[in-house]
Amino acid sequence: MILANGILRPDEDLPQVLAGLEEEIVSTLSRPPLEPGVVTGACGALLDRLDRGELDELIARYSSPGLLAELAEYRSFLRPEALEARLARETGGLSGPRPFGRTEAYPLGVLLHIAAGNLDGLPAYTALEGLLTGNLNLVKLPSGGSGLSLALLKLLADTEPRLAPYLYVFPIPSRDRASLQTLARLADGIVTWGGDVAVTGLRAMAPAGCRLIEWGHRLSFAYLSGEPDPDDLAGLARHIAATDGLLCSSCQVIYLDTDRREALESFARSFLPLLEQAVRTARPDPGRAALGTLHGWEHRLELAADGAEDRVFPGRGCSLTVCGGRELELSPLYGNVLVKGLPRERLVRALAPQRGRLQTAGLLCPAEERAELTSLLARAGVNRITAPGSMSLPLPGEAHDGEYPLRRYLRAVDIADP
Amino acid sequence: MLERQKLFWGPGLYDQARSRERFLAAMRANCAYHIRRCPPYRAMARALDFSPEQLRTEEDLAKIPPVPTLFYKRRALFSMPPRRMAMRVTSSGTSGKFSQVGFDWGCVLAEVPMVLRLGRRHGLISPVPAHYVVLGYQPHRSNRTGVTRTMYGLTFFAPPLSRFYALRWRDGAYVPDLEGAARELARLSRSPFPTRIVGFPSYLWFGLKEMEKLGLSVRLPRGSRILLAGGWKQHYAQEVDKRLLYALARKVLGVEEEAVHEFFGAVEHPIFYNACPRHHFHIPAFSRVIIRDPETLEPLPMGRVGLVNLITPLINATPVPSVMTDDLGILSPGEDCGCGISTPCLTILGRVGAREIQTCAAGAAQLLGRGEGF
Repeated sequence: MILANGILRPDEDLPQVLAGLEEEIVSTLSRPPLEPGVVTGACGALLDRLDRGELDELIARYSSPGLLAELAEYRSFLRPEALEARLARETGGLSGPRPFGRTEAYPLGVLLHIAAGNLDGLPAYTALEGLLTGNLNLVKLPSGGSGLSLALLKLLADTEPRLAPYLYVFPIPSRDRASLQTLARLADGIVTWGGDVAVTGLRAMAPAGCRLIEWGHRLSFAYLSGEPDPDDLAGLARHIAATDGLLCSSCQVIYLDTDRREALESFARSFLPLLEQAVRTARPDPGRAALGTLHGWEHRLELAADGAEDRVFPGRGCSLTVCGGRELELSPLYGNVLVKGLPRERLVRALAPQRGRLQTAGLLCPAEERAELTSLLARAGVNRITAPGSMSLPLPGEAHDGEYPLRRYLRAVDIADP
Repeated sequence: MLERQKLFWGPGLYDQARSRERFLAAMRANCAYHIRRCPPYRAMARALDFSPEQLRTEEDLAKIPPVPTLFYKRRALFSMPPRRMAMRVTSSGTSGKFSQVGFDWGCVLAEVPMVLRLGRRHGLISPVPAHYVVLGYQPHRSNRTGVTRTMYGLTFFAPPLSRFYALRWRDGAYVPDLEGAARELARLSRSPFPTRIVGFPSYLWFGLKEMEKLGLSVRLPRGSRILLAGGWKQHYAQEVDKRLLYALARKVLGVEEEAVHEFFGAVEHPIFYNACPRHHFHIPAFSRVIIRDPETLEPLPMGRVGLVNLITPLINATPVPSVMTDDLGILSPGEDCGCGISTPCLTILGRVGAREIQTCAAGAAQLLGRGEGF
């Protein structure tokens, strides 16, 4: 289904919608800009409906059972006060009096959002960021999505009809380059979430003068030094099991501040039961459990086929692989994680190849070393430093991959006194 | 090297006891071949302490390293140079990645009689010419997918008078034309010759729904059949109760349930699985199935849900003696089916990781009636 100006239309209408889009956009942009209060108010109204249980059925229809719990984590970020605070923080100082007159913040205009499919509801989230900054949003849904985002955005437009002209949602497959090109031509900014292929593909489509805002895939890891506390380790295991390794903030490699192979293997032996426990709790159904087992087994066979020295510690529905190298790389996912040795003196060097892709480090170390290791990780290029158990939990007021997104969706308009 | 041909040409299409020794001998020869010719496979076998001499009883088949289809999607393995192969075939790669499997001439020599014998056994081979409507891809040299070849192959079971493809190759891409297929069916209903529809079950389902919505209904000539292959692909979420599909085929096309045949197979395990008249996939003598524990990969007893591991000595060109699919499935005793075939039935419950598969062994029985094998 297509969502255009608050109305749901069948996929077949795509050519008509695209044909009339430029006129509709021009007419919307000619009107006074969207006030942030309208957007935050609509979010508040939606959250109230969520609290009253009115959306439970919708969410159950479109998404995994865990989504309500996840939403609970995010809900405080979607409250009107929180959104307003975020706007103030991220765009603070952009507008105000200047020696020549004044500067005002204006929306970029039209944002084309290309959202990745690894997180349910992401298209709706990125569109919300666009709305908050007053932009008109064209959203390309990822293929194979659940339909949750479309439903949420339709709900938002129903709740606050003034938002309707600012929201267009298209289920265009990535191979339909002609339609994507049409959307890209209309955009002042293209917001891409996804892997290198998606990002490079979009760069080629963006017209000159179009701002590219790329939220590429990131790699995250845990860094452990000293004797870790079992509760913290259990938290790390829960994080690994809950995210399946699929998020940018998911731990791919557990680094230990050591060079001793025996220490790595002994860690793997003691951590495996915690991971098994966490995996079992996170996926009670055989289908999900099998996914972890299958990926772990496949990884083990690949290592065997290559004659690699890495040693696999297989668990029930999960595994740990103690590796020889130090590089940060993608794990086999779904509860299968890599364990590597990385003495702190070598940290900046070892992470250098992935410097531009680093996101979260879950740091576990004695309190007196925390400051030193935090600074070391930040110098290596890490943008988020958390406890290992909360690597994927949102932080109130956090930046996104080292940047303030809302600021990038705005432009500063300088107005000289006559 | 004749062990394989002895199995595939030998008697007993559905006789596991009678084929047991020939199957084991062929598996020993096949595994030994791959270990000798394919260094990565040899390394895997060595790492898992497997050697072909260990295959003495049927239970020993579990010792052959079960290689996930995921593995073949990440890297192509071959046990002979391409010039010695008959062809190379790929899986359809629903999620963007596909497996590559080589077929050697010995494999073709074993496979062709298997397909013909099983086709005859299931009443698919007819001397009466037929028109074909293929709800799948038109063959093209750029299309190496196994399912396209399978569907094309199925159009020879009755002498073909004509072939219409719902996915036609035009200017470098496939263009779908379900409407055209519906028009063709209407035209063919007036032919004196029967029509055979060959296609993906999901396409048939969507096509029939569309025809029903438009109020179209035709009576295909007597002897018309529907042959379904290739699975539901990305349409798992829309997987329908098979009974609804049969009812719709009767209503919209006038084709009775008995004339709907389903097949199962994989590029990595190209054994010609035919559904029996009661729509169950009995294991043919050329294949063995192990259901493995979703957490430990240990073989499970009959009646438990787990990962489907398919075993056959059919192919020498690519090491696929034991392949682990990413499907969950269950085996049930063949006698329970009542169709007369006694080998166990394989029921595919769905793709690993799919949210709808939340049953455990206890609840599996109720799933036996639904959606299997597509």
